[in-house]
Formats: sequence, structure tokens, C-alpha cells
Amino acid sequence: MLDATTRFFEDLDRRGYEPLLTKLSGTLRFDLNEGPQTRHWLLRIDRGRIRVSQEAREADTIAATSPELFEDLAAGRENGMAALIRGDMTVIGDIRLVVQVERLFPSPPDSREPRRIFHREVY
Amino acid sequence: MAKANMVRILDGSTFVVSEDTGDIEATPSEPTGLFSFDTRFLSRWVLTVNGERLNALSYDDLQYYQARFFLVPGMPTHYVDAKLSIVRERTVGGSFHEQLIILNHDEKAVDLEIRMDAGADFADLFQVKDEILNKKGEIYAEAEADRLRLGYRRGNFRRETVISSSQAARYDRNGFAYSVHLEPNARWSTDIDVHTAVLGPASQDLRLDLRVPSHERPTLQRDLEEWIAAAPKVNAECEELARTYRRSLVDLAALRFSPLSLSGQMLPAAGLPWFMTMFGRDSILTCLQVIPFVPELSRTTLRLLGSLQGTRFDDFRDEDPGRILHELRSGETAAFEEQPHSPYYGSVDATPLFLVLLDEYERWTGDVALVRELEQECRAALKWIDNYADLVGNGYIWYERRNTDTGLENQCWKDSWDSISYRDGTLPPFPRATCEVQGYAYDAKVRAARMAREFWDDPAFADQLEREAAQLKERFNRDWWVEDGQYFALALDPDGRTADVLSSNIGHLLWSGIVDQDRAEKLAEHLVGPRLFSGWGVRTLAEGEARYNPIGYHNGTIWPFDNSFIAWGLRRYGFAEEAATIADGILSAATYFDGRLPEAFGGYNRELTKFPVEYPTACSPQAWSTGAPMLLLRTMLGIEPHGGHLAVEPRLPVGMGRIEVLDIPGRWGRVDAFARGRLNLHQLST
Repeated sequence: MLDATTRFFEDLDRRGYEPLLTKLSGTLRFDLNEGPQTRHWLLRIDRGRIRVSQEAREADTIAATSPELFEDLAAGRENGMAALIRGDMTVIGDIRLVVQVERLFPSPPDSREPRRIFHREVY
Repeated sequence: MAKANMVRILDGSTFVVSEDTGDIEATPSEPTGLFSFDTRFLSRWVLTVNGERLNALSYDDLQYYQARFFLVPGMPTHYVDAKLSIVRERTVGGSFHEQLIILNHDEKAVDLEIRMDAGADFADLFQVKDEILNKKGEIYAEAEADRLRLGYRRGNFRRETVISSSQAARYDRNGFAYSVHLEPNARWSTDIDVHTAVLGPASQDLRLDLRVPSHERPTLQRDLEEWIAAAPKVNAECEELARTYRRSLVDLAALRFSPLSLSGQMLPAAGLPWFMTMFGRDSILTCLQVIPFVPELSRTTLRLLGSLQGTRFDDFRDEDPGRILHELRSGETAAFEEQPHSPYYGSVDATPLFLVLLDEYERWTGDVALVRELEQECRAALKWIDNYADLVGNGYIWYERRNTDTGLENQCWKDSWDSISYRDGTLPPFPRATCEVQGYAYDAKVRAARMAREFWDDPAFADQLEREAAQLKERFNRDWWVEDGQYFALALDPDGRTADVLSSNIGHLLWSGIVDQDRAEKLAEHLVGPRLFSGWGVRTLAEGEARYNPIGYHNGTIWPFDNSFIAWGLRRYGFAEEAATIADGILSAATYFDGRLPEAFGGYNRELTKFPVEYPTACSPQAWSTGAPMLLLRTMLGIEPHGGHLAVEPRLPVGMGRIEVLDIPGRWGRVDAFARGRLNLHQLST
């Protein structure tokens, strides 16, 4: 079974297009650091079209975090904006790219939809 | 309660609140300090000369970002003997800068020990009114040869204040000092720089990525001059009106800020000192108020709010797909999720108002590109209105927080816990729906229909939206009308019972256009009638209601912003005289506050108090109070875009005299509007 991180990036690559990113172009690299090891995920975004690879190539923006935190983000257990403000995810480059990609993370696993109580029909 | 002699200077989200000597000694009741990005970076900043505190002769707020204090040693009775003067001149703009000048007026040389106590508690803006105990992280102070470093560390969350001086100083962990020998009539000065840093784990400043233009003083001065030059000129026979306009324009410049996620673009923050952050509702309503004068603020606000529109369900943040945010903060409580502001989405009006603002903005500027750019966000917002906000399934926008711990109970503009009540004063159960939000939803659909037809090339969607809007209007006029009072109820409970109090919210209904024509006159009568109208303005809740209290935050005070939209609504339905009555009352009140309207003032009768009583903890300057005079001007002048040109249909009270507004920007280029006071307002019983 795949981890949430891999699933998140592979889903993105498979979709190839993300409407929430249509106003963005640029390259964004996530560096998941663990001791001397770093896993790289490189996103090439061109007005919503996305390609994902695991290259250590240069990017306009680099976001760095621990693999554990990213796993929690990709599973919806942690929130990306809070992690940014907390300094647990750091960014070099254009923070807007990160803030927009953050919106693609899933809902927290225990979140409910708004509670609806239906009394009557709209008429 | 804030003392009247506190001095505030600000630039965007950095601000300083101090005593009239320039000193800062923060306590829960006197929350002074240097604040930036929702954190207090200085909580102590006390100047002494030879161990003696100083006294203020005077101070000047030179500009919104600059103040100057004239001080002498000793007690006030010794002023005449003062042989020393001390001048502190300070500026904020990115960092905090203070120039200290000491003048010796004596015929003898003096030796002085000049000391500044400096300390920082790094309180989150949310905590400054509380006793700050048990900070979870570690506070540190490091005295170096040429600087004092004050810091706070909690995990990777780090904030630092670094103090340095142009004259060599002796630094210790609690401040810094100079030994100065001053010859007769000599002058000594030093420049003190206080740099605030939001640090990442590798000590890089997270804000370096902002690429904010340098906020040094010449830049700030030039920026302010350009800002004023770009806005229309208001010449008025009534000098106070011209002053109020100018004050508003400058305060609006001060309240612009650049959030982390927007790379240097500016939008209005909500207000000093507690709301120096982004609020969806406040930013949108302020933009609506000021469109005829500074339309470009709308573009930034819409883009930013669109870029942070909700995408998922998150109970802690009350986030749903398509929802426009309520509040975004970057302090410690947001970082560690002790508060949900990262961002928090618990507002039901920001989403429809987002659509209203975009359409209004296009009508003024002709910026079709932005309407096309934000089509996807608009469709998501409309979907939120229909799918996620209708909790009862009867075609209205409802709210019930899912974050029952730190979320907001009332998610309308009257967001205090007791703002929504039945006539007997009891509070309705949840979910609740408030009337003005249904009006916004109606207006949003009507306006979205225009955008769909004209710019999104989707006439079928436009037809559908118009149909839905018409049905909503019909339904609303049936379900919310309070027959025995002849007005619309404040709210509806989930069983369909009305919270049937008389409130200022009915004025927003006129603004939205949801009111049937034959009912508008009744509402207009109420709005300038004795239960709602105090002589200065419209009370949030009518006199005679169980929860009415002239200084109840949302239960009887008068909010200038609220009144500006009410006046706009009255004018929309043709009640120009009633609109002018309200404009006249609020603009008269402004003269008691040097042209700077507070967030709210007391609902006491004008006859009783003769002057408007400021609400004790009101924010000032506050963005939507700052915008109110501009919207009132628009309303009285009757300026309205019609196709490619600007229509002007002034209805001014006689006392206003002559007004000219020059160079109103828009799709027509720049045009002027002229008006003369001709309306004789009825003497209203107060």
C-alpha cells in the first residue's frame, strides 16, 4: 500500500490538470528532509497543467518539511497554513505557489459536512 | 479600556501603541506595545535620564506612520526650570525606528546617563488583554556588543526583536544605556532601530519572501503623496466635511497591508489595534464603500480572497468548498491551532458579498478581465450558497458552527454572542438565519446573472440565477415580514419562527434590493423613526427591545459603517431625504472625532448627550468606519455608473453647502461631480 505522500503526488500527476491552479505557473519543489536523506518532489505547473517528478532540479520555489509532517498534510491530519505560520514548513521563493498547492490537501479525516436538517421543501 | 492619550502609529500590519511620552509598559488593561504580524515585539520601552522618568510637554502625530514627542525631566510643576529637552521621533514601516535628541539649555555642561529599558513578551495579539502566564515556549534575551536580541522560541516558531543604535551603547539583557557629556547649548542624538523578525528554523526571515517594497521613510512619504494625488479631490464649503474626507483617505492608506500570501500587494486590514489583520467581510465592505475613490483596492481584495477560498470540509476552521474566509492571522495561537485563524471561514456573508463586490467593481472600472479571471471562484461561491449554506433546506443561508470550542456562534456582521434575539430577549436555537444575509444572497444572484450573461458567455446560467433570485425575493417577503411591526424580522430559527425585533439590518435589505417596492416606505419610516434613529444615526437594535442597551456592542450602539450602507439602501429605493438625514447625522458625529469615525458610538439620543459617546473599546481607525464618509458622499451625490458614463443626481441637505468631487476615476476616464445643498431636512423627533 502506498503512503499518503506518494498517493498525493501520483494523483496530481495522473490528473495532469488542476482547476484550482489555473492562475499559476512555475516550478515548485518539495524537499522532505530526514537526516542526510532528502526526497524531492518537483511540480511543474503551467496555468493549471501539472507534471510531477522526483527530480532534484532547480525550482522557482522550494518548500521544505519533514517526511512525517508531509505525510500528515497529504492525509489531511495536519493543516498546511498552520504549518507555514509555525515554521514547520519553510519556503524559499514564491510563497503563493505553496499556499495554492496547500489547498489541494484533503479534508481532515474526521471532518463532517455541514449538518443539514430538512424541514420543508423549497417552494 | 484604552486611554485617550495613547499614541498610535501604524503601517499595514505593524503598529505601535504607546503612552503620550512614547513609553511602553504593557499591562492587560493598557495593551501598549510594538506589534507586527499579530505578535507583540516590544512590551517594555521606557526612557530615563539620570534614572528619572520623563514627562510629556506635547506630541504630534505627524503622519500615520510617524509621531514626535517633546519631553522634559521632572514633574509638570518644574517645567519652567527644565534645562533639558528630549525629543523622540519615531516611524514604523517594516521596522520601528526611533530618533532620540537631547538638548542642553543650561549654561553649564552636563553629564547624562540615558537608558532605555527594553523587553518583549511576544504575546499573541489574541492574548494581550489577558494576564500572560505559562507561555509554552522560551523567551530569551542576548546582549551583544552592538545589539540587543530579544526572542521567543516554541518548536520551529521563532520571533525576534533586534535592537541596535547609531551611537555606541552598552547593552544588557534588560535594555541599553549611553553616558553622554553635553556642553552648554549642545545637542546629542542617536538613531535606534528595532527590527522585528519572523524566523524559520534555519533563522531565515520568513517575510523576506514577501518582496515588499522598502518601507523607509522617504518611500512611505512618497507613497502617501501618490495615494492622495491619485484619489479624487473633495472641495467642500463645509470645511469639516473636507477634513473628514482627507482623514479617511490617509487612514485608509495606513490600513493597507500586505499579507504573507500575496507578495506585496495591498488590501485593507480591518482596524487598529485589535484587527490589524485580514477579515473577509470587513475588507469587502470597505472596498464597496470606497470604490468611487480608490477602486484598485477591490481588485487586490477579490484576488486574495479568491485565492484562499475554501476547498474542503474542515470542522475546526468551519471551512466548506467555495466559502470565502472570515479571518486570517499569523500569530502563535493560529500557528499552534489554539485559535482557528489559519484561516477561519466562519462567516456567512463574505461569500455572497464577494460576488456583489466583483460586479460593482466591474460596473465602475470596466475591468472585464478580472470578472473572467474569477469566474471559477464565483461559481464555487454560488454553489456554496445553494449547497452548503442552506442547512434547513428552505432556500436561505443559515449558520451553525462546527467548531463549538473556538468558532463563532453568530456568523453575520453582528457577531457577538447575544446579538440575535427574540422580542422577549431570549436567544434562538441553531441553525440561525439573519435577514441581511438573504438580501446579500439575492443581490449576489442578480449580479452574478449579469456577469454570466455579459462576460461568461453563459445565458442559461444567467436565466437560472435570475429565476432563483426572483423566487428568493418572493419567499423572503412572505416568510420574514413582521405584520404587527411592519418590518422584516432580524432572524429566523430552524422551526420557522421569526426573531421579530426591529433592527438596523432592515437597512441592508434596502441596499440589496430584496425588498418589495410597496414595503420599502415602511422600512424607511422605521429607519429615521424615533426607535431606531438617535439623531446621529441608526441604532443596531431599536429602543424598546428587551436587549436594547445604548452601549450594547450590537444591541443599541450606532455603527458608522452600518449607517453608510443603510443610507445607500434608502437612496436605492428613492428615499433621498431619509438617506441625507442619516448622512448628515453621521458626518456631524465625525466632527467630534476629528474626522475619524470610531467603530461604534453610543445609541443615546442626540438631544440627551449633545455629542456622540464613543463605545469604550471601539477600534480606531477602523477600515469600514474610515470608508463610511466616502460611501455617504457617494450616496448624497447620487453618483452611479450607467453604462459607459457616470450619472450624478445630488440630494444634499442645505447645511452641507456646496461640494465638488473632482477626478472620479472609472471606465469614463475621470469626471467631476458638483452639488449644492438644497434639501430641507424635516426636524425629526429625537
